[in-house]
Amino acid sequence: MASITFVKSLVSPAVKLVLKQSQCANVRNTTVLSGLTPLSIILKRHYAEKQIFERTKPHCNVGTIGHVDHGKTTLTAAITKVLSDLNLAQKKGYADIDNAPEEKARGITINVAHVEYQTEQRHYGHTDCPGHADYIKNMITGTAQMDGAILVVAATDGVMPQTREHLLLAKQIGIQHVVVFINKVDAADEEMVELVEMEIRELMTEMGYDGDKIPVIKGSALCALEGKSPEIGADAITKLLKEVDTFIPTPIRELEKPFLMPVESVHSIPGRGTVITGRLYRGVLKKGTDCEIVGHGKTMKTTVTGVEMFHKTLEEAQAGDQLGALVRSIKREQIKRGMVMAKPGTAKAHDNLEAAVYILSKEEGGRSKPFTSYIQLQMFSMTWDCASQVTIPEKEMVMPGEDATLKLKLLKPMVCETGQRFTLRLGDITLGTGVITKINNNLSEEERSKLMEGKKAREKAAAKK
Amino acid sequence: MKQKVQTYSKMIFQLIRRIHTSPAYKAAESSLLAKLRKKTGYTIANCKKALEMHNNDADKAETWLHEQAQAMGWAKATKLAGRTALQGLVAVKFDKNHGALVELNCETDFVAKNDKFQKMIEDAAIASFKFAHTKLQAKGPITKMELDSEQLGTLHAEGGKKLSEILALFIGSVGENAVLRRAECWKANSEDVKIAGYTHPAPSSSSDYSSGKYGALLAYKQPNDVEDIGRQLCQHIVGCAPTKIGDKEKDKPAKNSDDETCLIFQEYLLDPSYTIEEILQKHNVEIIDYVRFSCGEVPESCMPGVEKQPLETVQTLQ
Repeated sequence: MASITFVKSLVSPAVKLVLKQSQCANVRNTTVLSGLTPLSIILKRHYAEKQIFERTKPHCNVGTIGHVDHGKTTLTAAITKVLSDLNLAQKKGYADIDNAPEEKARGITINVAHVEYQTEQRHYGHTDCPGHADYIKNMITGTAQMDGAILVVAATDGVMPQTREHLLLAKQIGIQHVVVFINKVDAADEEMVELVEMEIRELMTEMGYDGDKIPVIKGSALCALEGKSPEIGADAITKLLKEVDTFIPTPIRELEKPFLMPVESVHSIPGRGTVITGRLYRGVLKKGTDCEIVGHGKTMKTTVTGVEMFHKTLEEAQAGDQLGALVRSIKREQIKRGMVMAKPGTAKAHDNLEAAVYILSKEEGGRSKPFTSYIQLQMFSMTWDCASQVTIPEKEMVMPGEDATLKLKLLKPMVCETGQRFTLRLGDITLGTGVITKINNNLSEEERSKLMEGKKAREKAAAKK
Repeated sequence: MKQKVQTYSKMIFQLIRRIHTSPAYKAAESSLLAKLRKKTGYTIANCKKALEMHNNDADKAETWLHEQAQAMGWAKATKLAGRTALQGLVAVKFDKNHGALVELNCETDFVAKNDKFQKMIEDAAIASFKFAHTKLQAKGPITKMELDSEQLGTLHAEGGKKLSEILALFIGSVGENAVLRRAECWKANSEDVKIAGYTHPAPSSSSDYSSGKYGALLAYKQPNDVEDIGRQLCQHIVGCAPTKIGDKEKDKPAKNSDDETCLIFQEYLLDPSYTIEEILQKHNVEIIDYVRFSCGEVPESCMPGVEKQPLETVQTLQ
């Protein structure tokens, strides 16, 4: 229950001094608040104007997609307005959202507008991007992985030719839950709206969604924003948020997943045994848990006989904790940095991957030249790094500032799973960043030996065929 | 003028809407509307207007819609003309002695992925390609003609329509601004000068037409008995974006090979162990000229049409 400031005050004497002078009252206040549920963590930053973020509700990321003129931004503004009346959001004007500022996330420039609001049930991060490429960058960098989307369609226009491309994007970035909002019903009549609904359900089914079950809400974002005709204005927005609350499932939190810890370093402590240190990536680790250590082509089974943090034994470590784990009957030499300690059966080593990768432009610190297939790049992920051979299945080359699907073949099997993020480097330049989208069957010995072959040998082999 | 027509038609629309409100009509109308919409693909509001103007006669409504489409497209195009369009595609079409490179812009890259957009730019590329065949006069080793967006609009596509008319129809259908940005038409005047083209991302099978985010045209001389590397050189130009061909006597190679902007000193993209100069010697190629388009690279201030836009037609809030 201790607030961050409390911990900080222990760590840094400078902070302590400041706290003594001005913020003591605050520290006392937070320690008094002990009646809260264990879930609620209070993050407090003592910047004069900053507000306190209270984590009392599960978080979910949503985004709007749709035609430029169908009112995505107006809808976002309307949502914040309706919720601000309930004191659940800060009202944002159209202009605040529409400018979609260029944001630098992990060194990558993305045009994106982020808005936050909450309903009775959940807290939301709301993303809106102007283009396909920006959504892709968003997915790859993980700045705002969307758990669901709101597709906005104007009743006056209906489904546009490019609506198909919007849904294709949703599929591509892995959005399984889409809620439809038919906007501008104030400018259309009932049968037009019905027809639009029919069309959209048909298209959704065609695109592989369950078109009949997808919630479709009709309303007018403009009416809601201007406070006119509540039945199609504010009420429709409330209804939409209710559907978003129920239809888009809350993502599983890292804490609830099976535990996994990338190995940072290994120590041998005389009289006690081998200690593995690292940051618990996800899940919960208790003393006495069975675990598996995977990576660098090896797999070992063992038991965690003790968990320590800052030289103190710990009953239970949670995701995010930097810890040391004492393991039974394993020698220090058997474990190397880059391996992963995880719940048995949950982590597997792979060497044949497919990934969505964004290649940095020159301005973002990347290379000015494109690259072609069979380039050798160093892949960094978790605590491991490994040389990999890159092939480009869909293009002849990849330009800087472009995203692409790449096939990566690692020289050694390493722990990988879909959704895992990584960086690709060439010499001292970061070339790109990506997320694993698919794991293929591991390479055979013959394929592996081919990885090391030069260009000449490949050409020779191709000529023979 | 257009504003007047719009308000007038709106009045009629509302008037007729009041007449047709009995629920008995509804079902029949709805299916008619659905059919008409499916058949023509025009916006729902327009389909409905057409039906109401022609007493639910589907055939008449359809002909009216087709007649109106051009006017509606123009109206939409003027309405959207001030909006920034920097996404889109570059297309190239070429044969041995002729080449055309065209850029078509739109507002979002979603639209650029749509079939209609791809058809539109193909029309434009073919029209420019024809222009290169028929209109260019012989002078020097190659004749080059640069077209701006207005000149490009006056070219005729297959079927006799002007490109600007097709563009207006397209804008009416997708509801997004689109601009025929520029084109480059080339003609080689002697037998030994060849023309090659390349766009990135390239299609899986090489053909004489392709479209992508980047494109290049290249004119070069190469004897027929050696392996033709025009396409590969074009790919290099698209990828490494040289600013000039470079002269061995006058220009000096840059210190860092990654910053090299002279074509002849650049490392060859497909085999970095050679420079372009070495490749040219090896394959006995002489580069005469090249041009490279990168989609959306034109700065906004240089865009034709933007300054002509009256302020009241620039849209802000929907």
